[in-house]
Amino acid sequence: MSKIVEISPTTRHEGHSKLVLKVDDAGIIERGDWLSITPVRGVEKLAINKTMDQVPKIASRVCGICPIAHTLAGIESMEGSIRCEIPQDAKLLRIVLQCANRLHSIALHNILILPDFYIPGTDTKVNPFTPEEPVRSVAKRIQRLREIGQTIGEIAGGECIHPSNPRVGGMYKACTPRAVNKMYDLAKEGLTLAHEQMEFMLAVINNMRKRDWVEVGGKQIPLPKTLGFHNQGVMAAHPVYASSNLDENPGWDPKRWTDVRPWDWYMGEGEVSLADPSYPIGGTSPVGTKVNPQMEACTGVPLYDGAPVEVGPRARLVTFKNFDEKGTWGQHIARQLEYTDSLYAMIKALDEYNPSGKVLADNIPQGDGSLGWAANEAPRGCDVHLAKVKDGRVLWYEMLVPTTWNFPTCSRALAGAPWQVAEMVVRGYDPCVSCATHMIVVDEDKKIVAQKLIQ
Amino acid sequence: MADKIKAGHVHMSGCTGCEVAIADNYGGLLTLLDKYVDWVYDLTLADVRHIPKMDVALVEGSVCIQDKLSVQEIKETREKSAVVVALGGCACYGNITRFGRGGQPNQPQHESYLPIGDLIKVDVYIPGCAPTPQMIRNVCVAAYLLLKGTKEQQELAKKFLTPLMQLADRSTSACGCDLMYDVINQGLCMGCGSCAAACPVRAITHEYGKPNVNREMCIKCGACYAQCPRSFFNFDVITEFEAILELFDGALK
Amino acid sequence: MEHSSEVKTMGTELGKYKTCVSARSTNKEILKKSQDGGIVTQLFAYALEEGIIDGAIVAGQSDEPYRPRPFIATTVEELMTSRGTRYNISPNVSWIKEATRSFGLDKIGIVGTPCQMQAVRKGQLYPVGLRDVPDKIALAVGIFCMENFPYQSIKQLVEDHAGVKMESVKKMDIGKGKFWVYTERGAVVQLPLKVTHKYEQPGCHVCLDYVANLSDVSTGSVGSPDGWSTVFVRTKKGDDIWGKAIAAGCFETKPIEQVKPGLELVSKLANEKITKNQKTVEERATFGVNKALRNPYISPK
Repeated sequence: MSKIVEISPTTRHEGHSKLVLKVDDAGIIERGDWLSITPVRGVEKLAINKTMDQVPKIASRVCGICPIAHTLAGIESMEGSIRCEIPQDAKLLRIVLQCANRLHSIALHNILILPDFYIPGTDTKVNPFTPEEPVRSVAKRIQRLREIGQTIGEIAGGECIHPSNPRVGGMYKACTPRAVNKMYDLAKEGLTLAHEQMEFMLAVINNMRKRDWVEVGGKQIPLPKTLGFHNQGVMAAHPVYASSNLDENPGWDPKRWTDVRPWDWYMGEGEVSLADPSYPIGGTSPVGTKVNPQMEACTGVPLYDGAPVEVGPRARLVTFKNFDEKGTWGQHIARQLEYTDSLYAMIKALDEYNPSGKVLADNIPQGDGSLGWAANEAPRGCDVHLAKVKDGRVLWYEMLVPTTWNFPTCSRALAGAPWQVAEMVVRGYDPCVSCATHMIVVDEDKKIVAQKLIQ
Repeated sequence: MADKIKAGHVHMSGCTGCEVAIADNYGGLLTLLDKYVDWVYDLTLADVRHIPKMDVALVEGSVCIQDKLSVQEIKETREKSAVVVALGGCACYGNITRFGRGGQPNQPQHESYLPIGDLIKVDVYIPGCAPTPQMIRNVCVAAYLLLKGTKEQQELAKKFLTPLMQLADRSTSACGCDLMYDVINQGLCMGCGSCAAACPVRAITHEYGKPNVNREMCIKCGACYAQCPRSFFNFDVITEFEAILELFDGALK
Repeated sequence: MEHSSEVKTMGTELGKYKTCVSARSTNKEILKKSQDGGIVTQLFAYALEEGIIDGAIVAGQSDEPYRPRPFIATTVEELMTSRGTRYNISPNVSWIKEATRSFGLDKIGIVGTPCQMQAVRKGQLYPVGLRDVPDKIALAVGIFCMENFPYQSIKQLVEDHAGVKMESVKKMDIGKGKFWVYTERGAVVQLPLKVTHKYEQPGCHVCLDYVANLSDVSTGSVGSPDGWSTVFVRTKKGDDIWGKAIAAGCFETKPIEQVKPGLELVSKLANEKITKNQKTVEERATFGVNKALRNPYISPK
């Protein structure tokens, strides 16, 4: 008979979320619900009737790990609505900023996942904060990579956490040749370190996928070779940067997107019937705890072509580079491959950048209410913002952030794994839960499609 | 190590930007953890799932009063922590969550967000969006000296933290308007430019020597007023800047 | 070359300092358009050439005469365009973060009034909104300041009281108890300072620092003969840079004890300013009926 386990809150990722897992007698997940329990700050609704300049600044603040993606997607959805083309040098600075954010984010994610992994050749898990070698050198390298990313973000973007330099119409400030040289030198240093760090992580990940078991709470838990596999598709709008409605060949299509409420997707009322106090640290929820994912979930369920999709590094590499690894290990490997990609893309943009070029459009229209959208490839996946701007004010605003796309897909990917490793599957998506607070009114037809899909 | 202090990060309705700012002490973060702080709670960085007893709790984010868990957690944080630090604009002043008005799926009733100081007593403020790694470092080192230092170090730490405690006592709301109300209107502005430098959304410009706040850009983080040398200026600490900066810089080397 | 590491104080009114001398630049080109001894320009020029700073935030030109605008000079040529005193506010601190961002500076020089030096030091100790700025302040040069003026005040003083068009002013100066306006055509107008008082910036009246106590090096004409400046070297950083600049022959110096009017006058004016403004601060406590105006030196409330 199946039992219900609840892990709440989940750890080592951004925001508040939990796992409600229906498991069989052997503890294998039959059905998993991973849901956000982060309060809904309602950025899309508070945006209404605020200025198109302020809304992206507020949108940035849904996430401090990928604020650059939200700032740029927000601004570019406004520019998409008012039909404003920005100067090439402003675009190049935005690309630099984008890559800087990706670099820091991958490195930060390394710290968050390493405790799940073993030092190759040992049965010792990695504690990234131990002063002991070889881990300390790795931790220092990670922090230096983050420093490089954040510093470049700060120069190109004014700030690295919530960039101040991007604005509707381009950028406030161009970078001087000195600033460009500084970013270039940092990127070059970063490239060497990124190669080393990528090799290290790939070794650690490949070591892990060869293992048959993993220790959790003092027990050896079998590790399936198909950890995190799912049958859903992937979605990515651009290999590095973004696509918007102003592109000649847009990489994303709003017509293919629909949404369902968690009501249709998640489990209904239930009660925890299996508890493990030894699960690190503090145990799972006690037996008898009431659960109700339908009611508790703070996000909606967006669909692309009527089905949930995976977004993120693996989705990008599958879409644009014929990458064929699947599941949790595939996601981790893809993310490490983006280390160097992001630096190469940054160096290319810096090479093309002209410090004396202009960075602000001559004419910034105020908008007639048309729909604009931008699909930015944030570190953790495609981040789509949609906006309608009229007379400089936002009439309507939506954010389809990466983790919102991934919630339902990841929930599917949990099935078949022992419940004790469910969090490892979650962390493969590098979730950013605070961002993921979106939901939109559903079209009735589409709702039926979604319900069928669940059955 | 017995002489470390126990500290942690409590995440309310924030964006984790404050946490990233902590991490942005880079190598210094590792030193901080080696020498001064046992980091006992932090959902983003560690597996501890429930709030333990702490010497210092750094709280990020405001509190959604329609979310039972959030309200329970902020109260629990107060009960279990000797010192509560409001970290960043949302915890101190509400920041962008001040604009929240609910109505958004999937929890349309989540409409009221309060700075933590409206629900519990807060000891120290670190305003700003995001707060800066250096400010966090300075407060952490000062907190360590306050709890574990020599008598002289405790004295210094107390003097350093005093204005930040007074900020906590002053108000749970802030915005660019404070520059008008509490600086220019009070006949104190001398046009130095600190506020404009501090503003994280470039909402402040100087027009003929005095700040102008674009109120439709201001996000209510409180950085401008806290940075202003005419909001507070504690001579006993700031005139000793050389020695104190050496102390702070040296602590994490 | 007087160069000692022990800290001397004449009284707290002059702040902490290691050395005090009378000095002027040895560069004729710099002296030509400088206010007094060309100390700020010369020191920044030396620091730029030696890589001690990689840019300096100075009061640059704007589209109105004698209305300064912060400007980041990264070469000596750029520095030369901003010589001289403007007697109204250039919000130099407003650029202190941008200097480290789109300008890419790692070692910033900044010049400012005593209150701006206070802002810089508060910013280093309490960097609420100044991420990654505190360790990039390489050289903060303070200038003596009795009070400052809004731009409109200067305009009214020059155009109404002195009867000179702003465009034809060559130099303005406050010294010897007078406000001086020099024109391009050689005319000199002097106004007694009692005329200028009402035009002062109100925020200056609570300032308790005359000689930029918190700078690395501070300078002003008071205490030294015409064409020379009084220089206080205050911090380790300041001492190091000043020592190197002297060794490189950037400045002529005279011991402050050997020049007229000397340190006594500096001390006298500093005490006057502090006493007067301390009184203002105290009066603010009882300004209304059982209502006080704010006192930033006690609390931010």
